[in-house]
Amino acid sequence: MLSFLNRRALRRPKKVLLWCGLAALLLLASTAAQAIPAYARQTGSACADCHAGAYGPKLTPYGMRFKLNGYTDTDGQGTKIPVAGQLTETHTAPARGPSSTALTEADLYIAGRISDQFGGYAKIESDYVGHNNTYNTRLSNLDLRFVAKELKLGGKDFTLGVSVNNNPGFDDPVDSLPAATELVPSGGSGPTGTFLGQNGSNSPARRVIGANVYGLYDSNWYGELGTYKSLPTSTQDRLGYNIAGDPGRISDTGYFRFAYMKDLKRQFFSAGVVGLTTKRQLLRTGPTDNLLDLGYDLSYQFIGNRDNIVQLSYVNILERRKYGSTPTGPTGLTALPRGVMHDETLSVTYTFKQAYSLQVAHLESNGTRDAVRFGPFGNPDTTANLITVFWTPFGKEDSFTSIANLKLAASWYRFTRFNGATNNIFGVPFGAAQTKPGDLNAFSVYASVAF
Amino acid sequence: MTKLFLGLCTATLFFGWVLASPPARAGDASAGSDVFKTECSECHSIKEGRNKKGPSLFGIVGRKAASISGYDYSDALRSKTDWVWTQEQLHSYLSQPAKQADPGTKMKYDGLSDAKQLDDLISYLSTVH
Repeated sequence: MLSFLNRRALRRPKKVLLWCGLAALLLLASTAAQAIPAYARQTGSACADCHAGAYGPKLTPYGMRFKLNGYTDTDGQGTKIPVAGQLTETHTAPARGPSSTALTEADLYIAGRISDQFGGYAKIESDYVGHNNTYNTRLSNLDLRFVAKELKLGGKDFTLGVSVNNNPGFDDPVDSLPAATELVPSGGSGPTGTFLGQNGSNSPARRVIGANVYGLYDSNWYGELGTYKSLPTSTQDRLGYNIAGDPGRISDTGYFRFAYMKDLKRQFFSAGVVGLTTKRQLLRTGPTDNLLDLGYDLSYQFIGNRDNIVQLSYVNILERRKYGSTPTGPTGLTALPRGVMHDETLSVTYTFKQAYSLQVAHLESNGTRDAVRFGPFGNPDTTANLITVFWTPFGKEDSFTSIANLKLAASWYRFTRFNGATNNIFGVPFGAAQTKPGDLNAFSVYASVAF
Repeated sequence: MTKLFLGLCTATLFFGWVLASPPARAGDASAGSDVFKTECSECHSIKEGRNKKGPSLFGIVGRKAASISGYDYSDALRSKTDWVWTQEQLHSYLSQPAKQADPGTKMKYDGLSDAKQLDDLISYLSTVH
């Protein structure tokens, strides 16, 4: 697998490989009685049973239970090949700069059950990086599980599991933490954003490896404890990641997550807390920062008879930083020894007949002013909004086809604050062309097909 | 007078018979469709031949238990050779947790305690054939 990953940044398009892969997947798909993406094939369920919009990733409570059970649930109809694929074609129209249309992403999912107690999710992603049909292939999210189901603790149902994953928060069953939703505003200049919020330039996402023990008690109480370490830079490079984004060496890392999840069939709600403490050497030698992330999240779903589904999610993460060094800036000012970062996301999604969806999300990242650490104004604040509409014509039980699933979407990504400014966000001198936050906006239309 | 008396007796007997008869699950099938979507549809389909985590419920009312050939039933249900999914049997089974109604079952269900919803659901299932 690693040798395949080494063939990244291919110059002449290995699009022929992509099309061969696609043909192979179609063949695989057609041999199964009901050929649908890996988990649906494994469980006999329709995509819409686990995903509110009949296409990933937003989960229904049923989907959350499937994830909690280590992706091992099955319809008992023999072994299915745990492979699926996805292709995404995108047309992007940024506020500034040329529009582009391309096959932006090709994904291979190795996902499903190995046995009643082992299962997992692995995504290999190939992203279009522009010019000359160049693609960068990388190992995306990974979540491998061991699970012991149907235990009893004090007479109540208890599920115990272990997740080995490369992204703190991705394995969360409620599926609302930044690692799972990727709803974070892009950070400005400097070490912006919280560790768990993953919006800074040295995010730990997919560049760490960790193991968490988790349990679900009496169907409602979820707890998780674990630790992570960052992958060596050579491994990050082999897995398809630019080492300039290295999260640094992390040590004494502890992660915890607790949530109360209540499934009322027609409604669902959850309330949880999340935390992470770690030491971090961003340059892998030299001074060590101490980071403490503490966050809480609330989610609510109205499901009813699934004709009208409303999903709300709010995540609030605070990070306290004790920096290991206090550098002096060019103006003679010294960086502050401590700082606080604060990430907040509010997302509301309405889905009609599990086919038509509207999602509106408000994303904010704020932090302590520091003239040395954050350029150009010493202010790391970013505010953005994301509005997405999408249509999934298939993925339901009575859909026209179950061989593939399709999502057509249009999204608007709007910035209203960047680098703490609402004007001249890069702080260029008077007379030079200034950039407003809105100049970073992007409108895109995309179609994803999953096999 | 005798004819009137006889007529009244007949009418009384007739209406008494109608009112005294058990309602035979006179639930609302269209409301039952919504109950099915909320309570059952994650694991069961009403399409003929479509098994999911649970077997297809097409034609369930009146069917012998554990009788669909393509589905892997639990030993517990297979051993219930005298079970037929009549409306009464369904009512008894669904009104309590599945593991209480059929210990050793694969079905994970806490039971439907709302009597009206249960009647509506069974009425709906009676229409699926």
